[in-house]
Amino acid sequence: MAKNEVAVVGVGLSKHVSKRRDVNIAELVWEAVSACYEDAGLKPKDIDAFVTGNMPAFEGVNLPEEWGAGHWGAYGKPLLRITTGGTTGGSVAHGGYYAVASGLCDTVMAVAFEKQSDGNSTAGLNTVAIADAAAQFALGVDPGFLAAFGGGAVGVAVYQASSYMKSSGCTTHHLDKVAALCRNNAALNPYSHLKQPGLTPEDVAKTVLMQYPIRFGHVCPATDGACAMIFTTGEKARKLTDKPAYVLSVASCSDEAAMVGIAGSGTTNVDPCAQESCKIAAAKAYELAGIKDPRREIDLAEPYAPFAHQLLMFYERLLLCDEGEAPSVLDSGSMNLDGELPVCPSGGVISTNAIGASAMERVAECALQIMGKCGERQVKKEVHKAVAHGWGGAVNLNVVAVLSDTPRR
Amino acid sequence: MERFFDGMREGKLMASRCPGCGRVFLPPRMVCERCLTRAEDWVELPLTGSVETFTEAHVRLAPDGTLEDLEDPELIAMVRHDGADTCVAARLDAPQAAVGMRVEAVLDPGAENVLDLLSCYRAAE
Amino acid sequence: MDKEVAIIAYAQTPYEADANASREMQVLQVAKAALEAAGLKRDELDTVITANNDYLDGRTISNMRLVEPSGAWRKNESKVEMDGAYAVLYALMRILSGDHGIAMVVGESQASVYAGYVPGTMMLDPTFDRQRGLLNEVSAAALQARAYMHASGVTEEQIAGVAAKNLGNAAKNPLALRSDAGADAAKVLASRMLYSPIRELMTSALCDGACAIILASGKAATKAEKPVWIKGVGFSHDSYLTERSLSRLTSLKDAASRCYSMAGIENPASQIDLAEVHECFAHEELMAYEALGFCPEGEGGAFFDSGATRIDGSLPVNASGGAMCANVVCAAGMARIIEASMQIRGEAGERQVEGVKTALAHGQTGICAQENIVFVLGGE
Repeated sequence: MAKNEVAVVGVGLSKHVSKRRDVNIAELVWEAVSACYEDAGLKPKDIDAFVTGNMPAFEGVNLPEEWGAGHWGAYGKPLLRITTGGTTGGSVAHGGYYAVASGLCDTVMAVAFEKQSDGNSTAGLNTVAIADAAAQFALGVDPGFLAAFGGGAVGVAVYQASSYMKSSGCTTHHLDKVAALCRNNAALNPYSHLKQPGLTPEDVAKTVLMQYPIRFGHVCPATDGACAMIFTTGEKARKLTDKPAYVLSVASCSDEAAMVGIAGSGTTNVDPCAQESCKIAAAKAYELAGIKDPRREIDLAEPYAPFAHQLLMFYERLLLCDEGEAPSVLDSGSMNLDGELPVCPSGGVISTNAIGASAMERVAECALQIMGKCGERQVKKEVHKAVAHGWGGAVNLNVVAVLSDTPRR
Repeated sequence: MERFFDGMREGKLMASRCPGCGRVFLPPRMVCERCLTRAEDWVELPLTGSVETFTEAHVRLAPDGTLEDLEDPELIAMVRHDGADTCVAARLDAPQAAVGMRVEAVLDPGAENVLDLLSCYRAAE
Repeated sequence: MDKEVAIIAYAQTPYEADANASREMQVLQVAKAALEAAGLKRDELDTVITANNDYLDGRTISNMRLVEPSGAWRKNESKVEMDGAYAVLYALMRILSGDHGIAMVVGESQASVYAGYVPGTMMLDPTFDRQRGLLNEVSAAALQARAYMHASGVTEEQIAGVAAKNLGNAAKNPLALRSDAGADAAKVLASRMLYSPIRELMTSALCDGACAIILASGKAATKAEKPVWIKGVGFSHDSYLTERSLSRLTSLKDAASRCYSMAGIENPASQIDLAEVHECFAHEELMAYEALGFCPEGEGGAFFDSGATRIDGSLPVNASGGAMCANVVCAAGMARIIEASMQIRGEAGERQVEGVKTALAHGQTGICAQENIVFVLGGE
């Protein structure tokens, strides 16, 4: 069986806002799916299989495709459900890649979504900590101590941010700048959630301090939204469009599972900002893509950054600059839409976070930028190669994909 | 779904219909899985239909996930309303059931909870 | 597929009602045993796929804590939230892509921890069916069984007979949780009535356990002893349970036809030597006979009566005891694949069927077997 070249030929996004009371989960996904079929010029009959995923505990629905997949055109079709937490969307996109690359399928639709307003995401995330909590109770740790370190993902992020700031020289001003950059980019993206045109770092610095060093303005919103992408063989892609976005490689890496927010650290033994698994995944993805020098060869990056410091931290862990150098890269203007290596032109996760979809939306933005379909937020430089990232789990899971305007040799 | 619940308040059973293939959904669906188009047409269906399949429940699901005995067994039926392509699962208030049995929906327009508007089915005259 | 990907090793825990081990320890146990059986070190794994479910594990991102026990530390890991047979499919895709050579697949759940049939109700349409509280996995299966009995003329005795056959086969499976060498249809029909026609002994035995399977590319499998080759795979998804005919397993039929065309199977009843079917309820095995093309549509009951699917028949089905003897949700399909592989390799001990060269294994996910996957496996 021949291994297939893989390309993206269609992307679709739903409207992304806090609470979509007018639609249920399946109908929300249908919006993205319909837009995706239209973008690719394909119909459900052209799709060989579906890959789908979300964060199930967030909506209170187990396997929502059981009653919902008809709404994405999967009636009578093969379907594979992949869920990996914050990285879900990326993992689903990777599933789409592998389904086509394997030669088992020619054309695959990948669908990722989250309707956070149907459930309680922080409660869902806190179940991550329950097993740890039980172990700690057994060891005689005071529950009040644990409660102080709870609070969903923010609890983890503050330690990570502090640690990153200490090791990199990143200041709170850099966090403010990241937030302003992303929210301004988001203002140009019709599918983003928090659009804040003209937002300045000074405005961000005035928002409420949640827990040092993270202010309200540094944190993602909770979003309802869905994303769909169509992957097909290189051969079919070239017939469908003049400008497909090839997926050169995907790689993921899972590090040690962590204790969430215990004892001042995101993980038991590991510095939460180390993110070795991101470096390993990135190095593998570049190797598979034939990229020798990512700093020179990558034109655009979509790191998964629900918190401001993560944009800088993951820029480094994606091997796009030396460790500790990202704040000065930010200061240089290189990350701007008209910069040398634009970062999060979509506005990023900090502006829009439909969790299960977020990591796919990073891949989708890279594809759209390569295909030149980004309208007002289209970056100035020509995009030949772009890197998309996803992060999740207990700060331990990372997924990376490299896309290009030319196929893998 | 509001249209469906509001309809029952007025004693009517409202179903959605796909403008593409004519498939009729009860309970309503807003997207037709066969055509992937919005099923935005609304049609009123008769209260009558046929039992597609049924079971006599001797137990019910307890919150701990076990099946606890019911004092009196009750019938659960999947009913395909006349003119519908999908089924409704509901209680059947009858001494016995059979596949193909003719039944009619018993609506309770005054029910507090919208889920109780369609209270059960009974044998049709 | 011709010698592209092979199953080179596997391991299962015993199936227990309440294992004296955490899920992490169970996963560690099977992952280590599978590596040892393959003669591999953890470092040699390229990718790890786990199969588990957040609702069953009672925590979100249920794969997260299986990173270390499954051998996935700092490896390319992902999770399929379906039956483990789908995780095997994903590992197969990854190997066929050429990016990976050796894959570990792990599936687990612990029924002693989750609330029985409650997580299944979370799969129902959340607006209507779930809130009305009538449907659950068992009552829905009862509706399916009645619809099937009506369509195919199957009797309660025949359904009970399937359960009895599998419980009898399980008596020769040392890992089984539930077994009964002397089971017969009358005994099954005397068990507690749940939702007619489904009685206690017609339901699968939910339990604790884990499975691991190691897959290797043709190149990586050359060193393996007795590789079991994946000859074909097919999978499909059906409509929601109130929107399809419950009397037939349409998506299984579709999955089988995709699988057979890949494996070059034209006459399943004569070309397949043994089948392992994931029957969450006894009647589903009869429905599967028809959907898998072992007999014509509508003749599942008669095919069973012919004795063909008994362990000494022409096409033994569930020689292991099937899910009637142990149903670890998320690993049950893997257990089917493992049993099919053991039979091909001649490792099935007392329940070994002579001359198994080609075997079929089936997995399912969802209420009333909404999603189905079929593998055809073969020896040298």
